[in-house]
Amino acid sequence: MKVTPSRIRFLLCLSFFFHGALGLALWADDLWANPILPFLQEHCTECHGLEKPKAGLNLAAYGPDSPIRRERKQWKKVLRMLRRGKMPPKKAPQPPEVDRQKVERAIDEALAALNCDGVRDPGHVTLRRLNRTEYNNVVADLFGIDFKPARDFPSDDTGYGFDNIGDVLSLSPVLFDKYLAAAEGIADEVIGGTPAKGPSDLLTCLPKSEADWLPCARQILEPVARRAFRRPLRDGDMDELLRLVESVHADGASFERGIRLALQAILVSPNFLFHVVEIPVLGQADAIQPLSGFELAERISFFLWSRLPDDELAALAKAGKLADNEILEQQVRRMLKDDRASALADNFAAQWLQLRRLETITPDPVYYPAFDEDLRRDSRRETELFFSAVASDDLSVLTLLDADFSFINERLARHYGIPGIEGAHFRRVSFEDGRRGGILGHASILTLTSNPTRTSPVKRGKWILGQVLGMPPKPPPPNAGDLSEETEEVQAASLRERLEKHRADPVCASCHRIMDPIGFALENYDGVGAWRTRDGKFPINAAGTLPDGTFFDGPVDLKKVLLERKRDFVWCLSEKLLTYALGRGIEYFDDCALEDIVKAVEADDYRFSRLVIEVVRSVPFRMKRSQESSP
Amino acid sequence: MKEKTTRSRRTFLRGLGASVALPFLESIPMADAAVAPKPPRRVAFIYIPNGVQVPEWTPKRDGANYALSPILEPLKPYQRDFLVLTGLTHDKARANGDGGGDHARSCATYLTGVQPVKTGGADIRLGRSVDQVAADVIGRGNRLRSLELGCDNGNKPGPCDSGYSCAYTRNISWRSETTPMPKEINPRVVFERMFGSGYAHEDRAVQARRRNERRSILDYVLGQAHSLQGRVGIKDRQKLDEYFTAIREVERRLEVTETQSAFLHDGDITAPAAGLPESYRDHIRLLSDMMVLAFQSDVTRVSTFMYASAGSNRNYRFIGVPEGHHELSHHAGDLKKQAKIAKINRFHIEQFAYLLGRLQSIREGDGTLLDNCMIVYGSGISDGNKHNHEDLPILLAGRGGGTIDSGRHVRYPNETPLSNLYLSLLDRVGVSVESHGDSTGRLDGLNLRVPRV
Repeated sequence: MKVTPSRIRFLLCLSFFFHGALGLALWADDLWANPILPFLQEHCTECHGLEKPKAGLNLAAYGPDSPIRRERKQWKKVLRMLRRGKMPPKKAPQPPEVDRQKVERAIDEALAALNCDGVRDPGHVTLRRLNRTEYNNVVADLFGIDFKPARDFPSDDTGYGFDNIGDVLSLSPVLFDKYLAAAEGIADEVIGGTPAKGPSDLLTCLPKSEADWLPCARQILEPVARRAFRRPLRDGDMDELLRLVESVHADGASFERGIRLALQAILVSPNFLFHVVEIPVLGQADAIQPLSGFELAERISFFLWSRLPDDELAALAKAGKLADNEILEQQVRRMLKDDRASALADNFAAQWLQLRRLETITPDPVYYPAFDEDLRRDSRRETELFFSAVASDDLSVLTLLDADFSFINERLARHYGIPGIEGAHFRRVSFEDGRRGGILGHASILTLTSNPTRTSPVKRGKWILGQVLGMPPKPPPPNAGDLSEETEEVQAASLRERLEKHRADPVCASCHRIMDPIGFALENYDGVGAWRTRDGKFPINAAGTLPDGTFFDGPVDLKKVLLERKRDFVWCLSEKLLTYALGRGIEYFDDCALEDIVKAVEADDYRFSRLVIEVVRSVPFRMKRSQESSP
Repeated sequence: MKEKTTRSRRTFLRGLGASVALPFLESIPMADAAVAPKPPRRVAFIYIPNGVQVPEWTPKRDGANYALSPILEPLKPYQRDFLVLTGLTHDKARANGDGGGDHARSCATYLTGVQPVKTGGADIRLGRSVDQVAADVIGRGNRLRSLELGCDNGNKPGPCDSGYSCAYTRNISWRSETTPMPKEINPRVVFERMFGSGYAHEDRAVQARRRNERRSILDYVLGQAHSLQGRVGIKDRQKLDEYFTAIREVERRLEVTETQSAFLHDGDITAPAAGLPESYRDHIRLLSDMMVLAFQSDVTRVSTFMYASAGSNRNYRFIGVPEGHHELSHHAGDLKKQAKIAKINRFHIEQFAYLLGRLQSIREGDGTLLDNCMIVYGSGISDGNKHNHEDLPILLAGRGGGTIDSGRHVRYPNETPLSNLYLSLLDRVGVSVESHGDSTGRLDGLNLRVPRV
């Protein structure tokens, strides 16, 4: 990757990521103890120390364990700075060349401790329960009813930006209560529903005599339980369910009552509520194994559809065919074309791009009278449809940043100043003026990165750094002030002038001189994403210069600058997609998988399908390990 | 101050006053006053985000008969019923080497006194919160072990604060080191949790059958969970532990319901309207009503209530503050912004005053329901601009069944752990533990005489 000076500054602005490390190789710790740590203490920590560390990089806070593997990204940058002679700065005393080389080699080796050629660690996804979306979808899949029983469940906590992370999804007593209540409601609906909806389809058999009860119950419950548990049934599963039916029989209640009870039991069973991945038995040599066919099918279908595998996928899982790369690829392509893949837009894209935040955004009606509930809804829809089009038409993922089309309806067309679009339905529209097309011209993104009463170039810059380039800036220091919103000050100077003043503080400047220019490039979009040429009495100036001298003016230029960093974008998108696909945070050893994914995407014209296929084929997605072991 | 209430709320309250049968209510026929049950003590913890405007919060004088500060002014009618506790600290909310994320930390630490493990998801670990420690003992015999309330549900995408998971910013109640207790935001759903939904008129026999069915379902899934336990990893088993805990909780309640079901079915209580109230004020008040009802009917003795999540950026346009709360809190000395923050602080205090008024209006034994409560109100951040965690804004309302001499402003030495207060509250509900979080001892000064614990 070509590294420009500005990129280095970008990188220095990163927040640090702490990964839970598995046992580090001892020799990495040795290298750390000598020569790395003494070198840092002699040449680096005076500026990069505890007190106001330069560029927010504190190299003085480490213990005897090497942090290099778990903070791999950061140490790659440190190495780069050393190698290019950027650090220590020219003005400072320079280390002897021998020492410098020795330390460079040591860091390199410590980094290489992550060996992508050897046995790869697939990581471990903590047993995760269905989230609300998945619960609703699975119930709809099982019974063909669509009444969203998870509506009243407590909302799912998020981790790493997504609401399907096993470590974070807890199962509280309150939630369990809701599971019980939902199971009752669902069973009532399914057994006692109206004939028109055909819920009695479920009752494929009614006992004519005492002797019919159990065979009949088995016939009804077996297929339900199998689908609900997403795997073949074990002996015990069925026997115990039938015992429930029997107990009802003994009480003299009806057959339907028995089935109803068994259904409730299925719906609160851990085999239904959790995505179960069985762990290889400890102590075996092959503690790293592929997922079973059923586990893999489940992981794929919840990744792409947020719901159960369909018959075709389930049949292939049963036949053990998903181990075949070609079949796997065919299936992913098939599923991406399916309507159900809209779940990727609703659940993945809406969280990656933070669209869900639109629900709670409240533009001030005094400043933005045009904003209404239609706009809130339709602007989100535009971005989802746009993402879905990239997915289903298998376009380049770079299209997301730079496109000459989008999907709009009358309400959005009015907002964007585009004539001739009538009706509430969305249609594909091409643009020529460069104002729209690509997510950075979407009213959704532009609104959710604004304050209630004005645009926020800072928030927009931060959003692009975090969601597009994968380099979220560090949070502001505690005393950092926000801009005054008082009328006299707003009247006296443009937002740009006020922000420039704010940036005078060097602590703030290190990040703001990158965030702010990026955000200013979007100043022609107001706080709800409408095009403008003036902000109050001040004409819009959408020009900006990055610290390395890169100059751009307006959204078209900004897109060009971002496309020059397309590897950062693809890496960021891959990391987010892998996080979502697995339901766990990214660990340092996942860099091997990410590197493979990014390279494959680059080699295949950045096609969306390639990205998804490579995620599915990756070691962390396809493999599992016993938790206590690591390679 | 007279508040405009929504129709649904008023209807609900009227329905309530008319008909609930309540165990400790004065009007309940008590044949012999001497054997009347002694009212139980209840604890509640209320959380506000982003700290406060400290100079407008802290009363100038200490002791009794102090003059209320501008923010606390709405509590005037109840000045004799609460304590202002100044000078308490949550050291574990400080960075202590963990970097940014004061909002998440201050919320996680608020009731635990424990420093949260900094993580976006993996390895979430905190400590048990004081309400849950209390619930272990005083919640055992009640239909609900504890009741968690809050107004914010929305999930903020991304790590919620500088690398901390949203689990830390959205929950103050932690049942175990790894399991937060999610809060209920919908008053109607709270009501149904307390009293059941529509089963009240069912035949006793039908109800008994329902309970038996529940038991057989639980037996079945317990078997499944046990067999699953052997096939998953260590961390997975922790998740299954949550599942087992939840089952035990349901089992416990099935038993309590059998022995305690009388008043649950006798009352013809009007449930609050479905859906969320449109105004934030009504939302807080209706949930406060639920807390009052839960205490009054002894459905629970332990509750928490988050007026908003940590770092909330809610706007308060309806009181003339259109900016987001969190944005405002970084005022950098701007006087007009500070005035607006004080306005938000005062708004929250008005809602707290409403709660106290409701509790005080209910006679219980020879006093009021409020007399038998201990309600902590506060934030884990002192000044939202400085993000500091010493000199926290903390109130303690109620007399703890006669163990607290309220009506004073008590000033503690700097760095006195807030956890010491919690230890003292646990004493007062009969939970005897040696420490809680980072406590260093009991908190003196809550009562002037030796308490009758």
